[in-house]
Amino acid sequence: MHDFWTWLLFIVIFFSGLYLLSVLEKWIYQDRLDWLGPLRKITFYLQQEDVKPGQRDKIFYENAPFLFMAAVLMGLSVLPFTENRVIVDMATGGLFINAALAYIMVAMLMAGWSANGVYALVGGWRFLAQLVAYSMPVVMTITATVMRAESISMFKIVESQEPLWNIIYQPVGFILFYLAAMALAFLPPFDLPVAKGELASGIWSEFTGSRMMVFRTARLMLILTLSMAVTTLFLGGWYGPFLPGFVWVLLKTMLVAASFFWVGKKMSRLHHDRMLAWSWKFATPAALINIFYVGVILLL
Amino acid sequence: MTLQLILIIIFGLGAIWFGWRVFMTSSMVRSALSLLASMAFLGFLFLALEAEFLGVLQIMMMATEMSIMAIFMMMYMMDPGGMSGMDMSHQKKPSIIAASVTGALVVLVILFTNWGSMAVTVPAAARQNHDLGIEVMKRSMMIFETAGVTILVAMIAAAATALVYKKDMI
Repeated sequence: MHDFWTWLLFIVIFFSGLYLLSVLEKWIYQDRLDWLGPLRKITFYLQQEDVKPGQRDKIFYENAPFLFMAAVLMGLSVLPFTENRVIVDMATGGLFINAALAYIMVAMLMAGWSANGVYALVGGWRFLAQLVAYSMPVVMTITATVMRAESISMFKIVESQEPLWNIIYQPVGFILFYLAAMALAFLPPFDLPVAKGELASGIWSEFTGSRMMVFRTARLMLILTLSMAVTTLFLGGWYGPFLPGFVWVLLKTMLVAASFFWVGKKMSRLHHDRMLAWSWKFATPAALINIFYVGVILLL
Repeated sequence: MTLQLILIIIFGLGAIWFGWRVFMTSSMVRSALSLLASMAFLGFLFLALEAEFLGVLQIMMMATEMSIMAIFMMMYMMDPGGMSGMDMSHQKKPSIIAASVTGALVVLVILFTNWGSMAVTVPAAARQNHDLGIEVMKRSMMIFETAGVTILVAMIAAAATALVYKKDMI
């Protein structure tokens, strides 16, 4: 189905993206540029003692990290990384990425429930509320980009941005998608389900060793996926002068991810009820107005 | 074609298996997520039948719906974890009769419905998206609008009844 170059490019983007994200995360949050940091973290998790809570729901506890990773991989697979290369070319790509990302919530809920601990349980249900609230602006802003491209295919959405990137064409949609993407990846200041201070790491409080490593890696993959989604939907994907398309995708993705971390560093953690209220009362109506606005521009 | 048939059978059996698991567990969250798995298998069934949009939509919608159901089941059950050996079944005989009669009716409907001629070629996925859009915006618009407005009214009514009543509000 795919030639050698498609897989090679995907593997290069995937692994270099994960590595750079891991370094970036530490650099921005902790002001430490540690090129060997990811390697150190992996060896730490692999030799960490495996502590499992008693009376846990075994099926959920063992499967949750892997469901999380599988869902993120499925979301990543529909995002194009050059003008003609993608792992799965779906005619419904814009919808499929939502479908895949909904299952990270199922995985987090399973993890929270299975651990048989109060903090994990609260974290799991918190993430359910958070994802339901913030997937509304995500779906609606994607709809507005789909309206402009007149197709749900990711390729068509990028191609529609050749004259003008969506970040300028529909700035409100970009801001909403950007913030909602941060909420979906539970990055600070939206990191309520795994909040360290107030919830003792929440869902992740009962996971150690290799399971925790799967969770952490999958979370980095999720940040990569969402930054790449911002690139694809709003920043013109592979378009850019001089450099080849995939370099532009990787570059823009890293810039978006770095800005995610930077915004998170500058803000304090949000209040849970206020965060939900903002999504339902302001972000969702604004996303509807954005759809109307794009519709009017298209008809003019 | 054979691969397609095998996949359809596997996904169908998966949906039935998880549908059965819903009632065979005492844990509310396991029960709700089994139903989610059953519904997701139905979505895979759509995908195997080359109905891409419907399949993806089914898989997406069910994830949040069933998770919301899970929290409500957990809230209202006296033993949500199923650790105290709670028995959820009741009125076994009437339920068996009701289920058998309904099942027989469904089989009769399947057998005696004129399903029309079988589609020889499936339209491309992008074409299906287009056709579905036209269908929703033209012939089926009234049905969808009616359903949508009804759900919206129910949501507003639910939110209104949940608000705290204060005497000096009026």
